Amino acid sequence: MKKRKKKKIIIKVSDLSKSFNNNIVLKNINFQLLEGETLAIIGASGSGKSVLLKNIIGILKPDKGSIEINDTEMVNLPTKLKEKILLDLGITFQHGALFDSLKNWENIIFKTANKEKMNNKKGKQLAFSIINQLGLQTEILDLYPSEISGGMQKRVAIARAICGNPKILLFDEPTSGLDPVTGSLIDQLIKTAVRTVGGSAITITHDMASVCRIADKVILIDNQTISWSGTPKQMFNSANTKIQEFIEPINSKIFFK
Amino acid sequence: MRDLFLDILGTTGKKFINFVANIGHFFIFFGNAIYWALKPPWYLKRIFQQIIDIGYFSLPVVGLTTFFSGMVLALQTYNGFTDFNSESTVARIVLTSITRELGPVLTGLMVAGRIGAKMAAEIATMRVTEQIDALGTLGTRPMQYLIAPKIIASLVCIPILVLIGNTIGILGGYVIAIYKLNFNPNLYLYATMEYLQLIDIIQGTVKASVFGLIISMVSCYFGYNASKGAEGVGFATTSSVVISSVMILTSTYIITALFFG
Ligand SMILES: Nc1ncnc2c1ncn2[C@@H]1O[C@H](COP(=O)(O)OP(=O)(O)OP(=O)(O)O)[C@@H](O)[C@H]1O
Ligand SMILES: [Mg+2]
Repeated sequence: MKKRKKKKIIIKVSDLSKSFNNNIVLKNINFQLLEGETLAIIGASGSGKSVLLKNIIGILKPDKGSIEINDTEMVNLPTKLKEKILLDLGITFQHGALFDSLKNWENIIFKTANKEKMNNKKGKQLAFSIINQLGLQTEILDLYPSEISGGMQKRVAIARAICGNPKILLFDEPTSGLDPVTGSLIDQLIKTAVRTVGGSAITITHDMASVCRIADKVILIDNQTISWSGTPKQMFNSANTKIQEFIEPINSKIFFK
Repeated sequence: MRDLFLDILGTTGKKFINFVANIGHFFIFFGNAIYWALKPPWYLKRIFQQIIDIGYFSLPVVGLTTFFSGMVLALQTYNGFTDFNSESTVARIVLTSITRELGPVLTGLMVAGRIGAKMAAEIATMRVTEQIDALGTLGTRPMQYLIAPKIIASLVCIPILVLIGNTIGILGGYVIAIYKLNFNPNLYLYATMEYLQLIDIIQGTVKASVFGLIISMVSCYFGYNASKGAEGVGFATTSSVVISSVMILTSTYIITALFFG
């Protein structure tokens, strides 16, 4: 894989370790996310993928190591500066984390409405322009998150993350719990979102089909570290036993022939 | 024997250190919350919503409890004092008991049960479902957006609720005095007005403000620091009601002692 042009490093994680009491979750994690790139993180349940993401966005503090976003060291950065950097990130949480006291449209435009005042009509229009691409109907805008299905909540959370066109997208299992058609719609959307703003994305997923559709690079977290990394294509030709366990359910010939 | 002793000492010591650490933790939260409550810009819409919730919707329960307390006071006082001057005695006892103590304390306890539990459960649920983390990533500060409006609204509402509660309590006493004890309404009202003292109102308002601070701070603290799971929400809710009630009853003594001791 030769690169024609040297790409900018968007996120750089070096030597990151994290443990909870005596439970070592991550040890010496190193990876980079380059401009324009989509990185998929895979790994068994409980391997620490969500913990890694939470370290990157500053919800958890690493025991050791550094995290740079656009060349700014995030660990121990004062809150004010950290907030500024976070504003250019679109994040979804594994369990949605939608605000249950706000209607769906208020959830979606939350960050934008916080920056600039907008009336309800304009806000709803903005929210609609996003959910429209996600296969959701206008009717859900005026409902509360608890009144829509799990898959719809997932999409509202994605809408909230991409509202305002952030340059860095971080998704924790964006397609889990969705039917395959909607899942591939989301993948398409992530791809478009990354491409239109010239951004980059990290997505945590268990869905190998999704990995193939959107990822430029894959890392596998196993045994507290990154035990494998490469392109999706390399993944399907890998002799790594853990990787093979992951791709086993899928007939690789469908994707790479 | 020695081991057992050391064991007990160790466990108690650990509990004690934890306790002290928690108190320290609480006061850091307290300072932080005050800072964000005072610092503009304020989320006015959210403050307004909280005022409706804490103030307006607490009116029935506060009114009911203080009304009956006023009635009980009048009834009981009369049984104890059967002299010719009982109008003024009953009026005075009802007035002072309500304005100094029962009005603020009953209102405080009712609001602690109603609003404190609700605040703690709401914030704890948001913590457990990562909504508070999400707030932080969406350009808001949870302390400013979530906590400050509740503190401000409590400080505004609870003194007003106490004033209303006091009035209704005195009215309860009046109803009993006039319709059950057949007192002369004019004499009774005259006595009430005569004994009405500014210092009692001030003292009641001070109490109410302190209670407002206690209820909102304790509930927000337990909610904000809730641990994972449904259990965490339950723990936050009960702890906040129990602890704010105990603190209300303790502080009412301290304030009374400071004013009249
Ligand atoms: N706040 C926390 N406190 C203590 N331990 C935690 C905390 N968050 C995560 N852990 C632990 O870290 C480990 C990794 O959790 P994590 O949520 O990152 O897994 P995951 O890879 O995202 O799994 P899944 O695919 O099921 O989402 C688990 O053992 C979990 O118990
Ligand atoms: Mg996870």
